[in-house]
Amino acid sequence: MNEASRAAPGRPLRPARNWTLIIAAVGAVSLMTWWSARGIGFSLVELACNLPGGRRLLVESWPPDWSFFPRLLGPLLETLQIAVVGTVIGGILAIPIAVLAARNLTPGFLVWFVDRNFMNILRTLPDLFWAMLFAAAVGFGPIAGALALTVFTIAVISKLWSESLEAIDMAVPEAVRAAGGSWLAMLQFGAIPQALPHYVSYALYAFELNVRASMILGLVGAGGIGMVLETQRSTFEYPRVTLIVLSVLVLVLIIEKISESIRRRLV
Amino acid sequence: MTVRTTLAPAAGMGWATQVTLFIAVLFLVCAWAIDLTPAALANLPRQMATVLSFFYPADLNYGATRVWPALLESIQIAWMGTIIAAMLSLPLALLGARTLFPRIARLVKLISATARAFPEILLAIYFVPIVGLGAFAGALAIGISSVGMLTKLGSEVVESIDMGPVEAVQAAGGSRLLALRYAVVPQVLPEIVAHWLFRFELNIRASAVLGVVGAGGVGGVLLNTLRYRHFEKAAAVLLLTILVVLIIDMVSGAIRRRLLR
Amino acid sequence: MTDKAAIRFQGARVVYPNGAVGLAGVDLDIKPGEFVVVVGSSGAGKSTLLRSVNGLTPLTSGSITVGGQPVPKKEGRELRRLRAGVGMIFQDFRITRRLSVMTNVLVGRVAHVPGWRAMLNLWPAADREIAFRALERVSIADKAWVRAGDLSGGQQQRVGIARALAQEPAIILADEPVASLDPVTTHQIMRDLVRINQELGITTLVNLHFLDLARRYGQRIIGLKAGELVYDGTADSVTQADFKNIYGRDPDAGDLLDESEAS
Repeated sequence: MNEASRAAPGRPLRPARNWTLIIAAVGAVSLMTWWSARGIGFSLVELACNLPGGRRLLVESWPPDWSFFPRLLGPLLETLQIAVVGTVIGGILAIPIAVLAARNLTPGFLVWFVDRNFMNILRTLPDLFWAMLFAAAVGFGPIAGALALTVFTIAVISKLWSESLEAIDMAVPEAVRAAGGSWLAMLQFGAIPQALPHYVSYALYAFELNVRASMILGLVGAGGIGMVLETQRSTFEYPRVTLIVLSVLVLVLIIEKISESIRRRLV
Repeated sequence: MTVRTTLAPAAGMGWATQVTLFIAVLFLVCAWAIDLTPAALANLPRQMATVLSFFYPADLNYGATRVWPALLESIQIAWMGTIIAAMLSLPLALLGARTLFPRIARLVKLISATARAFPEILLAIYFVPIVGLGAFAGALAIGISSVGMLTKLGSEVVESIDMGPVEAVQAAGGSRLLALRYAVVPQVLPEIVAHWLFRFELNIRASAVLGVVGAGGVGGVLLNTLRYRHFEKAAAVLLLTILVVLIIDMVSGAIRRRLLR
Repeated sequence: MTDKAAIRFQGARVVYPNGAVGLAGVDLDIKPGEFVVVVGSSGAGKSTLLRSVNGLTPLTSGSITVGGQPVPKKEGRELRRLRAGVGMIFQDFRITRRLSVMTNVLVGRVAHVPGWRAMLNLWPAADREIAFRALERVSIADKAWVRAGDLSGGQQQRVGIARALAQEPAIILADEPVASLDPVTTHQIMRDLVRINQELGITTLVNLHFLDLARRYGQRIIGLKAGELVYDGTADSVTQADFKNIYGRDPDAGDLLDESEAS
């Protein structure tokens, strides 16, 4: 392969590639893909065969059943209420959790270690799992949804904000401590004000995610528009399903635009 | 937090206080609307404790026989969805970069924003009747909704690169395609692959819930165990899911850090 | 070789979309094998002059011929064929830092091998030999397999020169090749360029900011001011008054490399 380099002395030989690593990486990815494709019955043939059926479904789902819209207003409002409640409670609870998980502010290693792992475990479970759990615990309805979003909000804000807290300038907090201030005074006057804009920005971001998530919480009985979606879906009322999906998308986009414009003004 | 009103103490509240008050009122109204009363809130810890006590001990036998296969299926769904999204988004990310294709980029960005707007579970609601109940519908839903995000992130990576080498390849007589090959792709590939991995981590969580609408994976198992109040079995689902997601996050995170070093 | 290396500007004019004038109608003949240094204050059109030769900046009106062939005004096969024979060296090196030095130099061969080979990084042995010789000519063959981004600035510029040499060009355009280098490296790079010009007879156009460098290394000096040709003569005959005319003011220490180094 390297006639050129062998021909003339003094030229460095091309270093051998790390074939073990390359083969291992390519092999692992191919194997995973083969295993996954087989496991889930992935087949383009099946996709092609089913396309006519799919077209029938799409034809049936259009136009949306506009007459159904008045019955959506209540559930849509409830969805937003769930999102507000979840974001506010979760946003408040996230503050201590984020502070204790920030390496530069935490009062002790043990607290940091426990809090950090608690935070990571919260993050492993998807929003709908929390919704199922709370629906089982407190019964079907919007309260279960609000509690699920509370946990989800804590997971989102505490992770992001603890990173912002770790990036603050420690000069002022240390000065407060040096002047005899307590740990709480250090937080209140030295640390938190610096990262406050980040907190507001993350809280708004969490609210956007929550509005999105609150739309589907009802699929497992946790209140909001999702509960209507679930009943219409299971009876294959696709024109109504389409109407619900469209109104959800429009509402989500409106909330995102508002939140985005507030966040832009903050930064 | 104290709000300083040093400038005009008599003039009333600062804007921060006003916003806080507004949020507080909004919260109270919403909480009242969904019946989250102080009494309900006070009752909550006891309720939770009672239910949680049913979760012990976890039914590990059920975990091995029913949960484990479903979890593997969730991983397969997430992986296939990520692969589909990665393959589709790589060319789209290049085409969506303003700096390379100013005219096509706007169209590509519009398409990716639309794909991003749909949560995967809503897509799955449509895919399930099309390709039938099961994991394949889930993989398609995850794939399509990931394409949007990966295209957006990929285009941003491409737009942030040094364009000098691109011009250098063209100055040497290379076509635009060769400029992509030698000046763009080597600069962006590590970041883009890192985004793929991160998306895979998110997709594991997304695929876990798809079972709720019959698109395969562990979500359906959890829904059933809770519906029939088999809390020890639900505990097995939660334990195994947490464990598997933590391990995947760790491995994927380590690979990402190595890529970006 | 000799014919291919001649450049002729006729009424070459470049107006940018924002209305700025890059070149205001330049007539200029460059003979094969010449080593020409272009001087002028920033914004005088030095870069535009060089970039119009390989069509990176298209002319608004007038014409440029390279080896008798007019430079096409649109991107395409014709222009790529012309660029294959014109090497370019940039102020900021413009190498791909994540690729090996060797791959960066092989990029100089893209227009000389079949497209699929270039695409798949499967270079013919003959082209790899050319790339290696180019690296040897700038004395960094020992770094061939190092990641280009791991080299020092001077070494990275040598990779840029080797890439241009790998094209086996008739012409080399060097756009402020030493502006981001320290004084010692600057002299090394300038000596490399002069030596390559003498050994291989490649017509060389170099943009320089520093007057002392221009006088020391140039054969022929061309002065640009507001897009117009205001000086054209040998390096030996250029005077302080000529520089004053080109710059519109007396040259100061900032215009001299070795002075600014001392200060």
